[in-house]
Amino acid sequence: MTNDQNFLNWNLVIGYYLEFGIWDLVIGISKLIMNLFFYLDNNTWLHRLDPRTKIIGVILLSCLCLCFNHPLYMATISLGVVLIAVSSRSLRNLWLLRFILLFLFLFSSIMWPFFAKGPTPLGSWGIIQISRESLLYGLAMGLRLSTFVAIGLIFLSTTRNEELTNGLIRSGIPYPVAFALSTALRLVPTFAGAGATIIQAQISRGLDLESGSIFSRFKKFIPQAVPLFIYAIRHTQLLAIALESKGFSPESKRTFYHELRMSRVDYLTMALLLLFLGLALYIRIGLGLGVILAGRV
Amino acid sequence: MRPFLSIQDLSFTYRGSDRPALKNINIDIEEPAFIVLMGHGGSGKSTLCCSLNSLIPRFFRGEYQGRVLVKGKEVSRHTVPEMSHHVGMVLQDFESQLFSTNVELEMAFGPENHCLPRQEIGRRIEQYLAFVGLKPFRHREPASLSGGQKQRLAIGSVLSLEPEILVMDEPATDLDPVGREEVLSLADKFRQENRILLMVDQEPETGLSADQIWLMREGEVVTRGSPEEILPDLSRLKSCGIKPLPTIELFERMGWSGRPLTVESAISLIEKRHLIRQRRLFPTPLSLEGSISSPILSVEALRFIYPQFQTEALRDINLSINEGEFVALLGQNGSGKTTLAKHFNGLLKPSSGRVSVQGKSIAGYSHRELARLVGYVFQNPDHQIFARTVREEVGFGLKALGENPLTISKRVADALEPVELQGFEEKNPFALTRGERQRIAVASVLATQPRAIILDEPTTGLDYTQQKNMMEMLRHLNQRGHTIVIITHSMWVAAEYATRTIVMKDGLILADGRTRDIFANEVRLDQASLRPPSIVRLSNWLGTQALTVEQMVDELRKISNSKHQ
Repeated sequence: MTNDQNFLNWNLVIGYYLEFGIWDLVIGISKLIMNLFFYLDNNTWLHRLDPRTKIIGVILLSCLCLCFNHPLYMATISLGVVLIAVSSRSLRNLWLLRFILLFLFLFSSIMWPFFAKGPTPLGSWGIIQISRESLLYGLAMGLRLSTFVAIGLIFLSTTRNEELTNGLIRSGIPYPVAFALSTALRLVPTFAGAGATIIQAQISRGLDLESGSIFSRFKKFIPQAVPLFIYAIRHTQLLAIALESKGFSPESKRTFYHELRMSRVDYLTMALLLLFLGLALYIRIGLGLGVILAGRV
Repeated sequence: MRPFLSIQDLSFTYRGSDRPALKNINIDIEEPAFIVLMGHGGSGKSTLCCSLNSLIPRFFRGEYQGRVLVKGKEVSRHTVPEMSHHVGMVLQDFESQLFSTNVELEMAFGPENHCLPRQEIGRRIEQYLAFVGLKPFRHREPASLSGGQKQRLAIGSVLSLEPEILVMDEPATDLDPVGREEVLSLADKFRQENRILLMVDQEPETGLSADQIWLMREGEVVTRGSPEEILPDLSRLKSCGIKPLPTIELFERMGWSGRPLTVESAISLIEKRHLIRQRRLFPTPLSLEGSISSPILSVEALRFIYPQFQTEALRDINLSINEGEFVALLGQNGSGKTTLAKHFNGLLKPSSGRVSVQGKSIAGYSHRELARLVGYVFQNPDHQIFARTVREEVGFGLKALGENPLTISKRVADALEPVELQGFEEKNPFALTRGERQRIAVASVLATQPRAIILDEPTTGLDYTQQKNMMEMLRHLNQRGHTIVIITHSMWVAAEYATRTIVMKDGLILADGRTRDIFANEVRLDQASLRPPSIVRLSNWLGTQALTVEQMVDELRKISNSKHQ
């Protein structure tokens, strides 16, 4: 429901940059980060999974992606990931980032054939040789790269910032570290917003960002950086006051409103993923299938 | 009975300061009460608040004497998190207090820190979400709430710790009138909770519903008492930098007996004692002033859509502001005031329509040229101050525009004169007070000698004396020929200083006219959830032209003189 406000539009980001300069680019990027960390508030089976299961799931699925370098086998896994996205209603975020996914796929598919060499040549131009296998291998690599990103996206679309923190703590990471991490992530857009106001204020006073050499541009950075730096100090101090006043102290114990509990579904999910991974390894190593270029991952 | 709260001989001096922030404070509170704490900027209000939950001396270091006891516990011996069991703290800046990804988790944060079991956390979330009226928003991201809702959430997230004492340091200062109302009504509701509420606020009207008002001046609590005892003492209020209640001021200046705290009681006193008769307010004939001067800022069929939100922030605005006018832009947050104002100096580009400055379309100007014609002072001076000296700060725009050093130093001196900061050239702007920094920001815009100056909330964060100084300065600039446009939430500021008032609502202009006429139509103002200041409401009832106590006294005297003749 609040997602519409974080709708990301690349044309807009680039347009802002041309219009106003670096800070608006920072805002654009931080919006992207917010988007990456943007949780879609649904209640699907994936949302209900323990964050630890999801962290392990991401690792297992990524390993699964590494099993095959034949595009057909790889495509099967990609399809599986898309199905997970559909069932967890996170397709929306994949669609938002479709250009990135497509770019990664195309980039990889086009670049790999130049580097991998296969037995069935299709043509050669000087030192560059392209074979049928290297083309297919490129496709598989393109799929693999986009699938990696998609897995990460699904994870972030179904896991709250707090749950991630929580999951990290339960996986043995100290609370202050996990808390600092999640707070830092949340501060990026706040600081970027302040940066935008600051730059507008300075433009209103005659700061000219449209011309000048690199050196003079750097000098123009100071009127933007100093107020932002002071804002950041002030903001973090207020945050610290608010945190302590609500009883937060990094060393002491605390409870969690969203208590983590591994349920049957969690164990089942992990078992299933392990089973798939074992099966895939058997197909690859035992049967020698799913390989287009032997000797490559 | 052991006192709830006992402050014994408390003095505090911040590290690096030579002036004590608190001096010998002695207060005992035996029973639950709603206390409003008022005083001038820098009088020690925030310092006193911070001393109740050990932020002083634990977070802010300095020289600490005396002691503060909360329920018999000596505050300075405990850490801030330990004190959070007894004292809750709400800050003015609600943005920096919220950091969770949804409303529910924000409410849960405090109880989680106190290691409460899950069920109890759930119960408290329910109870206090209902208290602050945010139940329908429980799954929303805090960033998507309005200002008033955010501050209510901040209050709720502190209440969920169930503290015996709730301290709110200017919780409504950064809010628009609707948000202010929302937060203050919570304060009223909190009285039934049988706890202590200590709230800092600048507006004397807030004090009306309090059990006690404490006045602070230069680190001391000058006096304490009920609103009826404190508010009629005008000279003491003024010495503490607090705006007097206009009804009381009027009665005193007219020599009428009775000290009414509200417009309603003033009206009933006037009626009962036949102090003066009601008249009919005749709209004044339009002055010719407007037709003489030429338009400086004009807008035709302006529409603006924020690309991120895909909603129309401005819908078909037509407006023309003439050279030499003093205009107030009123409206709630999100009504489009700031969006409109940012079009005047080209910070935003219209989605459709036309913006002109001195009759020439804004597209024909560069940012540099516009900076010389239209100055824009942002709300928070700290968003622009960066230099080591006032001279460098104020001269920044001129330097950027390529002026020579001689001209710069002359113009800087010229700009510091109207803001009354002559001789401050070599001072460090960061070491000045908030009111002075605000003036530096104005001076740094003045230095380029723009024809029109737009100010976003020029009085927010200032106490009454500073607000008055700031506005007098703007009036002075206006008399020198500068066109002034202020965006404000402060109704008395608009009533007292602006000659023309524009009311905005939902991206449209709801009303535009002479300030007296705009404030005469209370029904229309109510549509924008605005209310005239109390003296104007009284003036509307009486049928006088006055917008200030001063004017009303003059007018009423004239009326009674003409009757006697």
